Formats: sequence, C-alpha cells, structure tokens
Amino acid sequence: MKKMNEEERKILSIRFVVVSLIFLALAGLEGLLMRFRILNILTEFFDEKHFYSMMTAHPFVGVYGWAYMAVMGAFYFLVPYILKKDIYSKKAAYASFWLMLIGTLTVWTTTFITHYAPLYTLYWPIPTAYEIIGWDIHSILFFGLGVTLILGGVLVFFANMFATIFLPLRHTDGASPSPWYVIRELLTTAFNLDKIKAKIKKTPEYSAKAFNYPVFVVAVFRGCVDTTLNAFVIGGVGLLLTIFAVSHMIPGAAIPITAVDPLIYKNVFWWGLDLIADGNVLIFTAGTWYLIVPLILNRKLYGESVVRTVILADLVVSLFVWNHHMLADTPQPILLQVQGQLFTWGELITMGLTMFAVLATMWFARPVKYTAPLKFVLASIVGYAVGGLAGIIQANYASNRFFHNTQWVIGIHGHIQLLVGLSLTLFAAIYALFPLLTGKALDEKLASLHLILWTVGGLVMGLSMGLAGTLGMLRRTLYPMGLGPYEPYMFYATVGALMLGVGFIVFLVNILKTVKISDLLKIVFSSKY
Amino acid sequence: MAPQLIIEYIYFSIIAIVIGFIIAFYILTQRGGDRREDPTEKQEEKKGMEKGEKRWLIFLLTILVIGNILMLSPILPSAKYALWLEDEPRLTITIEVKNYEFILPEKPIRVPAGVPVEFIVVSADLLYGFGVFRKDGLIVFQMQVVPQPYTNRIIWIFEEPGYYDIRSTEYSGPKHPYMYVPDAIYVVGG
Repeated sequence: MKKMNEEERKILSIRFVVVSLIFLALAGLEGLLMRFRILNILTEFFDEKHFYSMMTAHPFVGVYGWAYMAVMGAFYFLVPYILKKDIYSKKAAYASFWLMLIGTLTVWTTTFITHYAPLYTLYWPIPTAYEIIGWDIHSILFFGLGVTLILGGVLVFFANMFATIFLPLRHTDGASPSPWYVIRELLTTAFNLDKIKAKIKKTPEYSAKAFNYPVFVVAVFRGCVDTTLNAFVIGGVGLLLTIFAVSHMIPGAAIPITAVDPLIYKNVFWWGLDLIADGNVLIFTAGTWYLIVPLILNRKLYGESVVRTVILADLVVSLFVWNHHMLADTPQPILLQVQGQLFTWGELITMGLTMFAVLATMWFARPVKYTAPLKFVLASIVGYAVGGLAGIIQANYASNRFFHNTQWVIGIHGHIQLLVGLSLTLFAAIYALFPLLTGKALDEKLASLHLILWTVGGLVMGLSMGLAGTLGMLRRTLYPMGLGPYEPYMFYATVGALMLGVGFIVFLVNILKTVKISDLLKIVFSSKY
Repeated sequence: MAPQLIIEYIYFSIIAIVIGFIIAFYILTQRGGDRREDPTEKQEEKKGMEKGEKRWLIFLLTILVIGNILMLSPILPSAKYALWLEDEPRLTITIEVKNYEFILPEKPIRVPAGVPVEFIVVSADLLYGFGVFRKDGLIVFQMQVVPQPYTNRIIWIFEEPGYYDIRSTEYSGPKHPYMYVPDAIYVVGG
C-alpha cells in the first residue's frame, strides 16, 4: 500500500479544517437567521416549515460538519505525528473525508429543499409520520441516507484511528493482522483489562498497557470508543429511516410506524446520542488540553497517571448517563431516572479533575506567557464550568419538571458547552497547529480579539437563553403569537450571536492575512493527492 | 418565589465566582512565580497522587455526596414535586392528544387548590409534551407524552388559585407551536 507522507497528512488535515470551518460558518449563519426568526423578524423571508428544517440541519452541520471534521483533521495529523507512525489506511482517510462531506451536504440540502424537519432528536414516530405531518416520503429516504453516510464516515475514521494506534503498519511488514487483534487491544487498553487481570493474578509491579501511550493518544482512543458506539446508534437510525422510506415506496411492503416501540427507541437513541457529549465534547477536549498545555509550557502534565484513570472513569460514566435526557418521561422506570441523575454527578469528578490537572500544570509553570492557544484553553475551561454546572442542575428528577426542554437546557448548557467549551478548544488546536501545517503563525492581537468576541458573545447568548428558560420559554419552537416576557432575553441572545459572528470574521481575516486565499485553495483542491 | 428562580440566583452566584477565579488565575499566572520544580517528575517515581490532587479529589467527592443528598432529599424546594408522586390523587383528569390537539374533558378544567390532582395524558399518534404554565409564562410542571401503548401520568398539587395555560412542551412537527390552550385549567382557591 502506498505510504501517506507527512506532507500529504498535512494537506488532508488542512482540507478537513477548511471544510469544517465552512460548515461552522453555515451553522452560524443558520443560527443567526433562526435567532432573528424567533424574534418574529424575517417572517416573510422564511416560513415556519423552513425554520424547523433549518433547526433540523443546524446541529448536524454544527456537530458533524464542524466539530467532528475539525477533530478528524487535527487527529489525522497529530496521532501519527505523536506516535511517529503513518496513518494505517490512506484510502480510509480519504473515504472518511468524502463520506462526512457528502453526508452532511445531503442532510443539509434535503432539509433545505424539502423542508423535512424531524429535528436531531428524531423521536419516534415523528421522522416517519409523513402521512400525519405531510412530509414527502423521498425526503425521509435522502435524510436517512445522509445520516447513514455521515456516521459511516465517522466509523471509517475511528476504525482507521484504532488501527493506526494499535496495529503495526501494513505496508512495512506486509502482514495484515485480524480486526479482532485491534478490538482486543482496544478493549484491553481502553478499559485497563490487563491491569485488572494482573491484579487478580497478583502480578507484582505491573504497568497497564495504556501507560505505553502518550496521554493524548489515550484520550483519543478512549473518546473513540464512545463516539464509535454513538455512530452505530445514530447511523442505525439513519439506516432505519432509509429502510422505512424504501418499504413505503414498494407496494405492499410498508413497515408500520407501530413496528418500533417509541420508549425503547428513545432510550437507545439517547444512550447513543449522549455518547457524543462524552466522547467528542469531553474526552477529546481533555485530550487536546493534555497535548497543548504541556507542549506550549514545556512541562509534563500535572498528575498524568491520575489523568489516565480519570479518562477511563469517564468512559464508564458515559455509558450510564443517558437517562438524564429522559427525566420527563413518566413511563420510564424510576430506578433508571435515579441512575441518570447519579451518574451525571460522576462527570463533575472526571471533568473537575481534568480542569484541575490543566490549571495545576499552568500554575506550576508561572510566569506563563500566554499565547493564543493557551488563552483559548483557559477560556474553554470557563465554558465547561458554566455549561457543566447548568447540566447538573437540570439533570435532577424534580427540577427537570420546569427545566426540561426549555431555553435553559439548550442555551446555558448546550450552546455554552459547544461554543465556549468545545469550539474554543478546537480553535486552540487550530491556532497551535497552524504553524505546523503552514509554516506561518497567526496574528496574536487578532487572535485575542477573536477570543474576546467569541467568549463574550457565546456567554451573552447562552446566558440570555437560559434566563428566558427559567421564565418558561421552550426550546425547539417559535412563538407565533408573540414572545411576551421572553422577548428582551431573545434580543440579547441575538446580540450575543452577532458578536460570535463578528468574532468568526476576525478569525477568518487573521487566516487570510497570514495565508493567501489562492494558496489555501490550491491546497484544498490540490490534484496531487 | 418559584423554585427555578431560586436555583437561577444560586447558579449565577456560583458562575460569577468561577469566572472571577479564572480571571484572577490568568492575571496571577502571568506574574512572578519561581517556575518551581515539576512535581510530576517526582510523581513518576512514586506513581501515586499528588497532595494537591488528593485534596481536590476529596473536595469533588464531598460536593458529589452533598449534592446528591440535596438533590434526592426533600430539602431542595423542588424535591417536593417528586414526593407528590406518592400521594393518593383526589381527582384524576384524562386528556387525549391527537393530530396536534389537546382534547380536554371540559374547558376550563376545574381543580381544587392544595390537593393532589392526577393528570393522565395519552397520545393517539405522535410524541408530544404536556406543560402547564402560569399566566406570566412561567412553567409550573411538564412531562413528555410518549404515544400509545404508553400512558403518561403525573400528580400535582396547585398551590395558587387562578387560570393556567396548557402548551405542548415537545416538538412534534411544524404545527407544534399552535398546541396552546390558554386558560385551560382553573384552580379554585382552597
């Protein structure tokens, strides 16, 4: 197999990052338009159906198009760079890029053209109830295919990552070990099974296999476990929708809506979907912090051995927290509700220790010269603290009576975690990687302006939404009869969104000031690879 | 004061401290310091936790235990709502939801204040939400309405007399925002 040299890996990473930024711009534009529409402005520009289809596309474009593709771009460069190995499969690397791109575009265009709007929650039977809601059956088919393609891309990426980390290179020794070897190595290392076995056998001085890998790589493969399981579930839903649509196009083959139990489906769906929050949003973030902070400060990460254990603990916690999304479902057994609440608190420990390790590393490196990536990491900690605390509050069986599905959930918890927490971490990675990928550093003053606008904008938007939520404003809905007491909060949320938009433009100006757009386009559309 | 507003004040006080701490941390870490010996180097040898880490872990575990006790106990103002589920209802109201419409047994539904009232909501087609709101827009309570064969049940004690609105609290398609019934419930003073 042809080797993928470092230059080609750089180009692949740049392609992923450029496409992810285009998707971020698209998701941001959609978000801004929706903010205006919620204020009952632009009502002539797009109707309610268009609004809800936009609301369906927005998280797919934002999460899979932006966050996943940016993470993939960074990891395709960083994992081989840190391990001093090549990517296991060049074909799979390109396949994941195209599957993600085509899948996200399919979801976006389907919702845009057909106004199909089941939202990202896809609660059964809403995505399939086309006769009641009035959707075109073809829109279910194309949407299902788009979702399947995206999650197919995610699975190909993670399989490639696992193989890159755990397998010897095929092109160097010619051998092709069985996939079971990778799965065995992955499970052993991800869950520290070898260490448990050594303890049972009372093997003295045994060091777990996970200690053979840099802590960043441990976070990558452990986060990949969560996100792989997520891909099977959400990809499975995409496949289910595709099969459902096809069955309704063939006379006499229609699968009835009642074939799927809505509550069991919702449990499986949230079990899978919440794994994104842990795998992508928390563990990948932790991994990125663990890489950037010690690298820039030229110090070891504080409490590295504990951090490895924390990453493992978070993997276990993440498998049992999904019920905090279902606290308002009264047919759900009470024991599951309590379980969801208790395990959510587990994230306080794992994320709390992660933040502590990063802050302690910085503290012992005083005096710290803050470069852009470090500033972004510090601000992202604010995002996780503010959003995480809101999450713990709403994940309570009693308080969920008035917080569930309100602007509190999506504003203070959802958007602050994603925009101020995760996105600032991804920007930190881009600022840190930019010189490695292009040989040029971005302007520090513009980076600071980007940081201030983005952080303040994200907080203003999220907190305003949260305040409206405590007053009873729901998420996932327009108020066509008027916003009433929620209106001032939605106005401030729009101001925050505009600040985010200006911050992003400052970031683009910084990039285009550093690298010529023609050079960037040459890399993205290079026919060399 | 409504419990969500009390929670909001507590939350904003905590995050003000967090943001203040990070700003102070940013300023302090730029100044002075002696670039102390890397403590993780010592840790490599003993493979254990640092003293600071241990203290922090104990602090987090304490928060976890106290937080869970608070959240599961009747101390928290909102916890009484969970406890009401154990009460024997004095009145049962069944509401059907079908084709984006709440089918009420009467309008307004008259309920007495201060006694446990059971709401049973069943959906014949889609997944909806069932929320009761004060006239100023504040949520009183809500639940998801999972379609049949499931029955969705909640017990509530209205503390304040007056009119209340009903609104679907879950998206079920573009017609969802119109699932709003003003003055659907009238609570008669106890």
